[in-house]
Amino acid sequence: MNDEERALDAALGRALRAPVPPADFRGRLHSAIARQGLDERGRAAHLARARRERGEQLQTLQADFVRLRRRTLGTLIGGAFAAGAAVAVALPLLQARFGADAMLVLTGLGALVGLIIGTASWISRVRIPNPLERL
Amino acid sequence: MQSASSDAAAQDRAIVTLLQDDRLDDAFERLLERYQNKVYRLCCSILRDTTAAEDAAQESLVRVWKALSGYDQRASLSTWIYTITRNRCLSALERRRELASLSDATIEAQVHSLAAPEREPDDRLEMLRELVDALPERYRRIVTLFYYEDRSVSEVASMLGMPEGTVKTTLFRARAALLEQLRRRGLADAGLWLENAR
Repeated sequence: MNDEERALDAALGRALRAPVPPADFRGRLHSAIARQGLDERGRAAHLARARRERGEQLQTLQADFVRLRRRTLGTLIGGAFAAGAAVAVALPLLQARFGADAMLVLTGLGALVGLIIGTASWISRVRIPNPLERL
Repeated sequence: MQSASSDAAAQDRAIVTLLQDDRLDDAFERLLERYQNKVYRLCCSILRDTTAAEDAAQESLVRVWKALSGYDQRASLSTWIYTITRNRCLSALERRRELASLSDATIEAQVHSLAAPEREPDDRLEMLRELVDALPERYRRIVTLFYYEDRSVSEVASMLGMPEGTVKTTLFRARAALLEQLRRRGLADAGLWLENAR
């Protein structure tokens, strides 16, 4: 380094003084960190609550599903027993009345009952107002 | 110089030890003691605006705090902190460029007024500052940080993520450019002129 460069170095040292952060810099930094911490905690609590609610909803859905399966199974078994019993009771009577056509009449009756149950079920499913309820 | 760097390394090791002991708050306090001013100076040198530098330094240190528990020592503590700070400053510069493109004249005037250092009675130092300010960005950043950091090439290299050789070469070229500028302004004996600059 020659004299000129040394002089420039010294002058630059005087001209470019290191800036210092303002006195309240650390305080503001800690406030910002505290705010962030609160935000994080708030977010974490919100997430935990959402997870808990979702878990509860899943449990309810699962319980409903099991209940529905049991009810469906019960309805099927009950229906099969009822149909068997009805046939056992009605067949001798129909044979006495219609003779060889008794099976045909029984099948027709079965189809009619099935149609009525099916229609009623669709009416309740699509929520079409039942005209009989108004009476 | 050697003892200063070994002292710095010892301080960094102490911070890492605190982190390993899960004493996050203590580690962060120590880190602030050691790096707060350096981070601020790095921001000032990149952004040339004390208000923006304050914001960037604060955001950088908040990020450091948030990521501190996950610091994995793959990079040295100083490199890690300076990288976070530089990225923050570059984002701030990017935002400023977007703003400038919206209203070039207004923002440019504002930035220029903010970037101007506090006026000193001595015109010579003021003129020197203006010359430094007019240097190409790469030169200006290295020159200002070099003098902010007590002429430590290794510290400037670490702060800007550059090899020390590059910092030395850039400093040499920047000084040569400054002397050339002084001569162009008719100061035949720049050395004598500078000697009198108080």
